Amino acid sequence: MAATAPRGARRQTLRGLAFASPFLIGAAVFIVWPVLASAVYSFTDFNLFQPPSWVGLDNYARMMQDDTFWKALWNTLFLTVTGVPLTILISIAGAHLLNLPVRGQPLYRALVYLPTIVPVVVGGYLWRWLLNTQYGFVNYFLGILHLPQPEWLEQPQWGKPAIVLMCLWTIGGTMIIYLAAIKDVPAELYEAAELDGARWFARFRYITWPTISPVTLFQIIVTVIAYLQIFTQPYLLTQTRLNEASGGPGQSMISYAMYLYQNAFVFLKMGYASAMAWVLFLLTLAITLVLLWSSKKWVHYGSDRD
Amino acid sequence: MALTATESRIGAASPRRRRPTARRAARTALRHVSVWALALLFVFPFLSMLSTAFKLPDDIFSAPPSLWPTEWTLENFAAVFDEIPFWQYLWNTLVIAGLSVLGMLISSPLVAYSLSKIGWRGQRPLLVIVMATMMLPPQVTMIPLFLMWNGLGATNSIIPLVAPAFFGTPFLIFMLRQFLTSVPNELLQAARIDGASELRIYWSIVLPQARPALITAAIFQFVWAWTDFLNPLIYLNDASKYTLSIGLYSFFGERNLEWGPLMAASVLFTVPALVLFVFFQRYFIGGVGAGALK
Amino acid sequence: MELTTTGRRVLTRAVALSGVLAASVALGGCAAATSAGPTTITFSYLWGGEEAKALEKIIADFNASQSDIKVVGVSSPDAQKQLTSMSSSNGSFDISDNFGNTVGSWASKGILAPLDDYLAAEKVDTSAFAPASMDQMTYDGKIYALPIAVHTQQLLYNKDLLDQAGVTPPTTMDELADAVKKLTVVDGSGAITQIGLGNPSASTLFTTLGYAFGGTWDGADGKTPSPDDPQNVAALDWYTKTLTDPYGADKIATFASGLGQYMSAQDPFYTGKQAMVVDGEWQAVNIPKVAPTLNWGVIDIPAATPALAGTTQVTTSTLFIPSNSKHKAEAAKFLAYMVQDKPMVDFTLALGNLPSKTALLDDPAYAEIPHFDSWLKALASPNAKSLASQPYSAQYSTDLATAFDDIVRGVATPDKALAAVAGKVSSY
Repeated sequence: MAATAPRGARRQTLRGLAFASPFLIGAAVFIVWPVLASAVYSFTDFNLFQPPSWVGLDNYARMMQDDTFWKALWNTLFLTVTGVPLTILISIAGAHLLNLPVRGQPLYRALVYLPTIVPVVVGGYLWRWLLNTQYGFVNYFLGILHLPQPEWLEQPQWGKPAIVLMCLWTIGGTMIIYLAAIKDVPAELYEAAELDGARWFARFRYITWPTISPVTLFQIIVTVIAYLQIFTQPYLLTQTRLNEASGGPGQSMISYAMYLYQNAFVFLKMGYASAMAWVLFLLTLAITLVLLWSSKKWVHYGSDRD
Repeated sequence: MALTATESRIGAASPRRRRPTARRAARTALRHVSVWALALLFVFPFLSMLSTAFKLPDDIFSAPPSLWPTEWTLENFAAVFDEIPFWQYLWNTLVIAGLSVLGMLISSPLVAYSLSKIGWRGQRPLLVIVMATMMLPPQVTMIPLFLMWNGLGATNSIIPLVAPAFFGTPFLIFMLRQFLTSVPNELLQAARIDGASELRIYWSIVLPQARPALITAAIFQFVWAWTDFLNPLIYLNDASKYTLSIGLYSFFGERNLEWGPLMAASVLFTVPALVLFVFFQRYFIGGVGAGALK
Repeated sequence: MELTTTGRRVLTRAVALSGVLAASVALGGCAAATSAGPTTITFSYLWGGEEAKALEKIIADFNASQSDIKVVGVSSPDAQKQLTSMSSSNGSFDISDNFGNTVGSWASKGILAPLDDYLAAEKVDTSAFAPASMDQMTYDGKIYALPIAVHTQQLLYNKDLLDQAGVTPPTTMDELADAVKKLTVVDGSGAITQIGLGNPSASTLFTTLGYAFGGTWDGADGKTPSPDDPQNVAALDWYTKTLTDPYGADKIATFASGLGQYMSAQDPFYTGKQAMVVDGEWQAVNIPKVAPTLNWGVIDIPAATPALAGTTQVTTSTLFIPSNSKHKAEAAKFLAYMVQDKPMVDFTLALGNLPSKTALLDDPAYAEIPHFDSWLKALASPNAKSLASQPYSAQYSTDLATAFDDIVRGVATPDKALAAVAGKVSSY
């Protein structure tokens, strides 16, 4: 057997590579090459119709001076910092509600999940309508509750909350994931806690939260990445006519990805857009690594499941 | 979020001997109402969309808004079919979604198999690579890919939209891999000892076992391709090639703020995904639950 | 059992889908095939709806008038896609339309085919076009597009509202400011219920005002962005002094957010929410259609000094041939047809636009349209100005739009906002 082991291992490696080959080829063509090419383009001035010309670090320097760049970055970070905690909190709370022993839970779970399969274009226009200052339902209900009824898509300070609101509508998937996670928490732990007289918040804090923390880590990372790249929702909420690029009132709703798209396909500054893409990439990488590193402090692995 | 065992024990110690059924009924009612309210919050926008699609313009532009149309009309739907080649867009979208699913089904299980059932040295590193690609912002590859397809003369066609699926979809590879790890190895070992080739084992033994996961993956891929916006936006130039996403987008751009027809078009666009959801609900929700827990 | 079902299912699916794939490839291929006979060229245009229908009629007329060329019209309203289509080696159209202010930018990038030789071959007389409409058509001494329709701006006013307030149509900026004051109505709670001067497009209004004050947006040579020209600042100061300062930018924004859709039955000018607007000639065709009971008038845009009287901003709709077209000669023939007298009259009448040829300005066909002559005359004015068509134009107009938005919101004063744009000019 010893003689065959290294040969067997090599054969296994070949098999492994063979089965993985679609992904490996695809990754090389659709990921590795474009990422490298994108880096090269970021050092050029390229308008799509004429050959690129080398400009060195010019694009990056220009970026630092560009007001709109900082505005777009600020907008995106604001969305991330408000959107992610809200997503996690509401998903966990919702998961608990969906876990309650009431009849009809499958229906409720389905209804909560439904918005995630709605095409985002439909969602965009639907929310545009719901957030209409005079005729939309959001302000109608706010009025019933005697709360202020802002001009959602017209005022700079309400643009980003509008985007977050629209994104929160589609957190059904996260909620279902958390539902599965809290179902997995061993019941004995809860019973032991009750015997000790723990109230529900303590039970949540010392049992539920740590046990689901791996899921939370994953969801935070995934949601942060999604918000950093956000494009379609603000794009649709601010769309004026087909031929115009808009950033919302006072540029309050232009996201990083939107400005990138504008630079690439409207202003035809593909080199500059590539530079922006790389900055986004490095930023995403940095934030992900920080999150992973911080996870040592608050994530508990090793439950009875595995 | 009710207090259960604890409170009832305390209650038992107190003078109140009889179990207060009123309070329990109130608790149950509270639970029902909270879940019901949650579901309603999420479903309400749909209702608004539906009701607006059937309203007359005067009704739409009336404040305060109401869910029930004063007068039901089909003119918005008629306007949609008048204005945009809905069936053409539907067909285009179906073709793209169908081909994506085909591509994904061909490639993703193969890679998932490599990541779970073949014990080889590269398994761990490959898994890390697959997960890393899930985190790459599409904007980084967007421009060079566009230039590549442009150079190949493949822009304004469905090729850039469909080809990547034939090389595996990272998230679904990951999900399938998770599933496959739970498939028992004994069957495979037996077949290997019998001298069956790995491909044979994959095709005849593992794939049939993975049917529920494959269906779930196919559904996810279908919905993603169906609802994709950015890729058709970049790659489809001729109006005749538009998908429903871009069709809706250009419908809005031309006739902006004509909410009736826009909502009617939205309803039409959502219906197929809804139908799919109603029939395959447990695959959606089951897949989501299973696939994302490490 | 499981095996065969799965296998069969996968197989049937594969067969069905590859059939679909084959079919769609075949169908896609068909469109590109050229038959022996007339050369087929594609005319992709941004117009849609009614305008597209009118255009299709003209295309049909052309096709019927000769048998060498068949024009296929495609309505493709997204300008982004138009641009990306021209970037690949197999473009999707041979002739298309856009606006005059993109010509310079696109010509400088080699996107457009120069037309001089084709125009000479087709005997198109470029001097027949109104000079104001040809401004934006050339770049670096060559012609890259022809104006199919032209647009000018005038001041429209609601006769009833002006009579009620005892205001005569203004002819100077001071009179205009006065009129705005009398025509803006604020209710008890401080909210605006009627505004003296509305703006369908802030960019159009402000750039036109800049011209009306004698300013220029593209420098004395027409090639250098000059956002902070002192007259431009003066024009926008006039606006803030007349509207945003006295009434409050946020109140104006609240008022604007509640207005109905432009050009529909709920249009704010048609429904009396805006007493006056600066707008283009298409209103003359739209108002009788959508708001026939509106009692309205048109007058030249007031100017800051008598020398600037008759100032207006000219924009053009252009036809061009992309350099990646494979049938340029045929496209040029169609282009020459479109700018002949009869097709141009047909087209502009249907769209409610101005013809670009000087001789057609007096054509009796336009006499029926109420107030149309006001816009026609404006085209011939010596003070008809247009924004330059330069490579920086796309980004410049976006930056100007941002500046104008800031001014309207009261976030920045005109000189600061325009100075900010001036600061960005170096990066163009």
